[in-house]
Amino acid sequence: MRRQRRSLKLLALIMGLSLVAGACGSDDDEGSDEGSDEAAQEEGVQGGELVDLGTFAQGPPEHIDPGINTTSDGWQVGGSLYDGLAETDFSDPENPETVPVVAESWEVNDDATEFVFTIREGLKFSDGEDVLPSSFVRGWERASDPEFAGDYSYLFTFIEGGAEKLDGEADTISGVEADDDAMTLTVTLAEPYANFPAVAGFQTFMPMPSAVDELDDQSEWERGIMIGNGPFIMAEPANDQEIVLEPNPEWDGTQYDESLELPEQPYLDTLRFVIGSDLDTAYNAFEAGEGDVTNFAPGRYQEAQDNYETTIDTPFLGAYYFMFNDRNEIVGGPENKLLRQAISQAIDREDINTDVYEGSRTTATGITPPGIPGMEEGLCDYCEYDPDAAEEAYQEWLAEGNELTEPLPIQFNADAGHEPVVQIIIDNLAAIGIEAESVSIPSEDYFGQLAEGACVFCRVGWLADYPTYDNFTFDIFGTEALDGNNYGYSNPEFDELVAEAKATTDIDEASELFRQAEQVLLNDDIGVVPINWYNGQQVYNGDKVAHLFEEPTGHVVWETVSLTG
Amino acid sequence: MPSYIIRRLLQIIPTVFVALSFLFFIFFLLPGEPARLIAGGAERNVDPGVLERIEERYGLDDPVLVQFGNYWQRTIQWDLGDSYLTRESVNEMLGEKAVASLRLAIWAIIIEIIVGIAVGLLSAIRRYSIGDRLTTILTAAASALPVFVLGFVLQYLFAVQPNKWDWPEWARLRTSGIGPDTWTFFFIPTGEQWRYLILPAITLASVTTALLARMTRGSMLEVLRADYMRTARSKGLGEREVVLKHGLRNAMLPVVTLIGIDFGTAIGAAVLTETTFNWPGLGSQIVTSVQQRDLPVLLGFTLSVVLAYALVNLIVDLSYAWFDPRIRLGKGDHG
Repeated sequence: MRRQRRSLKLLALIMGLSLVAGACGSDDDEGSDEGSDEAAQEEGVQGGELVDLGTFAQGPPEHIDPGINTTSDGWQVGGSLYDGLAETDFSDPENPETVPVVAESWEVNDDATEFVFTIREGLKFSDGEDVLPSSFVRGWERASDPEFAGDYSYLFTFIEGGAEKLDGEADTISGVEADDDAMTLTVTLAEPYANFPAVAGFQTFMPMPSAVDELDDQSEWERGIMIGNGPFIMAEPANDQEIVLEPNPEWDGTQYDESLELPEQPYLDTLRFVIGSDLDTAYNAFEAGEGDVTNFAPGRYQEAQDNYETTIDTPFLGAYYFMFNDRNEIVGGPENKLLRQAISQAIDREDINTDVYEGSRTTATGITPPGIPGMEEGLCDYCEYDPDAAEEAYQEWLAEGNELTEPLPIQFNADAGHEPVVQIIIDNLAAIGIEAESVSIPSEDYFGQLAEGACVFCRVGWLADYPTYDNFTFDIFGTEALDGNNYGYSNPEFDELVAEAKATTDIDEASELFRQAEQVLLNDDIGVVPINWYNGQQVYNGDKVAHLFEEPTGHVVWETVSLTG
Repeated sequence: MPSYIIRRLLQIIPTVFVALSFLFFIFFLLPGEPARLIAGGAERNVDPGVLERIEERYGLDDPVLVQFGNYWQRTIQWDLGDSYLTRESVNEMLGEKAVASLRLAIWAIIIEIIVGIAVGLLSAIRRYSIGDRLTTILTAAASALPVFVLGFVLQYLFAVQPNKWDWPEWARLRTSGIGPDTWTFFFIPTGEQWRYLILPAITLASVTTALLARMTRGSMLEVLRADYMRTARSKGLGEREVVLKHGLRNAMLPVVTLIGIDFGTAIGAAVLTETTFNWPGLGSQIVTSVQQRDLPVLLGFTLSVVLAYALVNLIVDLSYAWFDPRIRLGKGDHG
């Protein structure tokens, strides 16, 4: 759920490399995608209007105020209006790193419990107010106010005193201190967390101008013209038809690090987000010339690529997988590891990608997707399709005196396009002698049921909140994982490795620890069955748009988007 | 007549109370915890602390009866509350969406009345002609065609293809949106507005127009056989006057009833058309609010739809007296 910046030239390189990775071992990757990337490198011009039909193709955003927004769609607007302390730089796709933005730099103590951010001088909000360390304190106190706090407010519990603030036991977050004279923001954490700058760049942590203090009800902020410190400003209050942005004259991209290669001002004169209600309608509107870029429904990837050759299928920071409930007597525990191995090796992930997703996703070789700092592909020992090994493992499990007395339930949320995936898995399992059945649960109730322990072998997807390794380990598989550890996976060794990694300030050392933890999950315990990594699904009008890239986080760096002459 | 109208208006109060109270309790029987869904729990795991705060903020941790009492206390003051999700005032949301729904419904009904009655009338007069048979086939097809299929076909034919053929801008209809706010007299599109309105209005009208045509045909055929029609002809009236003045007017009672129902449905339940054409109306918002467990929006919007239905039905009932002077409103049902 984050937006990153990178240079356009480097973006093209990433796109190319990502597509090579997405080719799944093909040596001959000279498809039309690369051609479209090259086309996208045409010289853009300053000015013009871009109409985006895709971001809100399925409905208006619940929120665009970064303090309470929870969706990546809403962040396309919020992220254009606000700049945070830090962002992830993907210019080296193999080694993405968190880099300072509004912060000039930061220092961390040895045990990763205290960070001192130095804020750049001379940055301003769109109303001319200086961006100061206290602007961040204002934003953070606002976003952690229990009367206002949004769904990501739990992130403030990472900071000392954050939990007390959210519980209403304290008026302020005790672990945050601003010194506007020294331009420093000192943050004391509740527990060691070396990746905190990546979280501090997340939308919930944006700075706010003093104008928010004039509101009695903070919910009103997003109903008017929000004042931010980002590259764009709102041309008018958001309505249920469109959200219109214009360049922020107070913003100057060259004030940030040169490595970000940002323009002095956004290229576009007007950025218009059209709010829709249906993906197919949005695509029809795109085909009718009513907009310049759109998303498309799964299953229309090939059509879009054939018609326009400008399809953007950037790998996303997201994983599609199935989870074993470790507390379940059929599949959980060390005594059933062979059964879990059989299931994982029996699944033909390539077939799923080809048949269901028209090859538009990347077959997963682990849980943590490319683009997460420290990630390495190929960590999973049991994620390759090997029906012989799967059958052998299943027979061995049977020989140990185990048996499946009833079909293995494969649970998934209904009406979300998972049925064909589950059907392929059922067929794959049948081929090695395992009888399985699909169990469709209404989406409204799905995660609620899982939270109560209903999962046996169930579908899950995870899109990164922020690009850190712990977001794919601690938050999903830790004993203290979100939502009370839905799946029961709990291994002290895993927890210790993740905790040690989180407290390690050396990025290489921390990454190694995270990878070890992931291997415990994937190989020692086989607690999860990765299927694929998500890719973006956008297409744009190549005759009009010169530069437009969707990042691994799903966000477009709108200030770098330009039109043809 | 005035006392009849007042009595009918008063009857709306228990109707609204029963409908919304029923909906209120049904809401809590739906699968899924409201707080979890409000926190985006249909798509992901949710932090337990966030769940607690949402329950506390919106009073979802109160007993249902307490919530029920609070709801009616607010509603009788026409305070429909704030959306759980967007935190926007439901009164304000309603103002925007109801207007959009009403405009679309008016045009759908205009199309329905003009086309439906004309086609039904002609079919009845020229019974078993080629036109009649063709009408029967077309109305059956229109009734059977799913709305979203018709919508996408129309979009393709009148918006996508004209763009590919590079037709002038004015000749390309729009696939989605309501366009610039340039309405005259509330519902008459001006400038470019018609390019946005025409396809959703036709789509919304399609099924009901077909039904109305069949209803008009059947009703007219029955009337055409009536004794008073022979009497009218024997008095020397022209066929045109016989059909329009004596025939059509008498055939209108069931037709008007259907139009009334259709109008209410077009205002509050045009979900597929609104979704297909991205027309921000009441129906699609109600469906979304059910999916997202946004109770204030669900109840507020349903309240407006119930009121719209009740008022339209009242107007329909009043119109009976005009179509058939023998009907005396408010005089009891003793014949």
